[in-house]
Amino acid sequence: MLGSSRRHRLAGCVARLAPPFTNLSTGRSHVEFRKLGIVGGGTMGKSIAEKVASNGIDVIVVEISQEKADRAREALADTLDRELEKWAITVSDKKVVLARVRFTADLAELAATDMVIETVNEDLEAKKEVMRRLGEVCPPDRIFITNTSTLSITEIAAASGRPDKVLGMHFLRPVPRTPLVEVVRGVETSDETYEQALALALALEKTAVTVFESPGYIVTRVLLPMLNEAMYVVMEGVATAEDVDLAMTLAYKLRVGPLEYADRVGLDKIMGWMDHLFREVGDIKYRPCPLLQKLVRAGHLGCKAGRGFFVYDGRQRAAGARKEASL
Amino acid sequence: MKILVINSGSSSVKYQLIETSFELIERDSDHVLALGSVERIGTSSAVHTYRPAGRDKVSVVREILEHRVAIAEIIRTLTAPETGVIREAMEIEAVGHRMVHGGEKFTQSALCTPEVVQEIEDCCELAPLHNPHNLRGYHAARQIMPDVPHAAVFDTAYHQTMPAHAYLYGLPHVLYTRHGIRRYGFHGTSHRFVGWRSRKLLGRPREETRLITCHLGNGASVCAIDHGRSVDTSMGFTPLEGLLMGTRCGDLDPAVLFYVMHKEDLTEYEASTMLNKHSGLFGVSGLSNDMLELVEAEAQGHERAKLAIDIFCYRVKKYIGAYAAAMGGADAVIFTGGIGENSPIVRARSTAGLEFMGARVDPALNEAAIKGKEADISTADAKVRTLVIPTNEELIIARDTLRLMKGKLQPTA
Repeated sequence: MLGSSRRHRLAGCVARLAPPFTNLSTGRSHVEFRKLGIVGGGTMGKSIAEKVASNGIDVIVVEISQEKADRAREALADTLDRELEKWAITVSDKKVVLARVRFTADLAELAATDMVIETVNEDLEAKKEVMRRLGEVCPPDRIFITNTSTLSITEIAAASGRPDKVLGMHFLRPVPRTPLVEVVRGVETSDETYEQALALALALEKTAVTVFESPGYIVTRVLLPMLNEAMYVVMEGVATAEDVDLAMTLAYKLRVGPLEYADRVGLDKIMGWMDHLFREVGDIKYRPCPLLQKLVRAGHLGCKAGRGFFVYDGRQRAAGARKEASL
Repeated sequence: MKILVINSGSSSVKYQLIETSFELIERDSDHVLALGSVERIGTSSAVHTYRPAGRDKVSVVREILEHRVAIAEIIRTLTAPETGVIREAMEIEAVGHRMVHGGEKFTQSALCTPEVVQEIEDCCELAPLHNPHNLRGYHAARQIMPDVPHAAVFDTAYHQTMPAHAYLYGLPHVLYTRHGIRRYGFHGTSHRFVGWRSRKLLGRPREETRLITCHLGNGASVCAIDHGRSVDTSMGFTPLEGLLMGTRCGDLDPAVLFYVMHKEDLTEYEASTMLNKHSGLFGVSGLSNDMLELVEAEAQGHERAKLAIDIFCYRVKKYIGAYAAAMGGADAVIFTGGIGENSPIVRARSTAGLEFMGARVDPALNEAAIKGKEADISTADAKVRTLVIPTNEELIIARDTLRLMKGKLQPTA
């Protein structure tokens, strides 16, 4: 156990120092990944697709309808435009990424990919259904990755008909800029599948941390109580939302405070994760803050709804008197 | 002897097959048998462009997913009955590789022994954008040609003769000892080549010649050469320092970076991309990183194109003046690289006002300098000659490879 986690960290170090695609010790390029499949063209699927494509690997993204697939493509182009404005990429980088990613509604196209990453909503039944269908269309040796932050890999894997070839990889948004991935083994995940996942992490320049199946893994489990506590501080009238975020960003050099972070993720999503953790673990520390529940019921879901703990103009926090939402 | 010279990038391999020997070097008549490039490696539409000497260029588009396949394709083309210039791969007696960063370990070219390759890998941290790709080309070529000697020729090696007062920054000294933070300089092979050519043209011995070489391309640097050795150069720890470049900012107050990162809420990555890919001629003009395009735009009244060209030329002139001061004068100023060789406007503006130090460019000769040909563009009475010399890094790589094989490597060309 210790051995494998150390190996893991080493792989992470190499991934940080090494260039894309090259294993420094052998000079061997990771050509085993030529084309990856992604199920789900939502925020996560799109973000993973962008990273995979910018690292030189072709991608097929499958959505449930051609209309949704087209919209996902537009959304990817929008994301790239925003990065271009921020000088993060160049016009040719954008062209290369868009040329490498194909959006379709036909799941059967994934049969021709080297590995499939499932990124549909954090809903156990939905993910099991995707696994079942992937199991039908893809050759039996193909590995499926499920991107989840809280759900049971073992349970999702069972639906695929090849549980030894399923593993969890929890990518974090924005995938191109977040150097971490949590690699989660289910009960039946084979060593070979695990090694392949590490190779993928390396090819994507991610530091991988191995996690044993447990709700929330590392980052979600540690983060959620912090967000929840920030909400309690506001609810109890201890401090304003503005000051909670100000204090936390200045004190811990965070780019975004916990409440704005929650707004940006989506308060409904945060509540879903909290609910799930609370139910799975049964510990009261994961009980969603009543203020969070209230905001979600009111439809104040955060950035995407234009208001949550704060008010938003598009993607930016609103300025002046309107900046803090009345709660 | 036929030597294959390889310059491997992230998704490209450029190559030349060069015929050289000590006799040919003596007569300065070693020459290219064929050259080409494979671009867009890793895609199903990689482009292989190939030109055998004296014949037409051919281009082939096909799937090439990795460097090894690209090099196999190159060897196949070089030996193919219809297109080839050699009958079999065995005729290639050695391979010379361009390596960007040799750190402080490599003061000259080296044969690729396992120890040397390990040391080059150790330098990857210093040049994460280049060395790993150079190494991929090496590993690929080694797999395909395991039995011939492979040599590494470093961009940084030529500048290892700089004195400490030129290569150290004004930072806490521990940063140098702990992390190797210092000026390394790049384009060394090019500065070395044009330095050597210009001494030949001027008919002056190495010991009595002070040169200022300006390699002006999409990346650009100036080098001060005294006694045949680099004594200072404008690129620094990375190729970002010094002149304004196609998309790189060059010299900058480091405090600007922190201020802009704060004001624009940029991550380290975004800031780095901004300085490396969105600045320079492109960033200033808002139009293009291509000097030819900017010159045309300027002629049509595009003000920021003019500004970009002005900043570019002003910086070149500033460095020429600085290096003349550093060496106590200069005997020649040399222009090379895509812009240096092909832009009379840039040469004229970069040297305007240098009469005080004895450099005076003849406008007619400057305009008349022909692409790909060496030329002296100074007025007859100029004490400091201004030369245009097409660079040839591949030739130096081939010659160093030959010398290494025969155990006769000299520190300079």
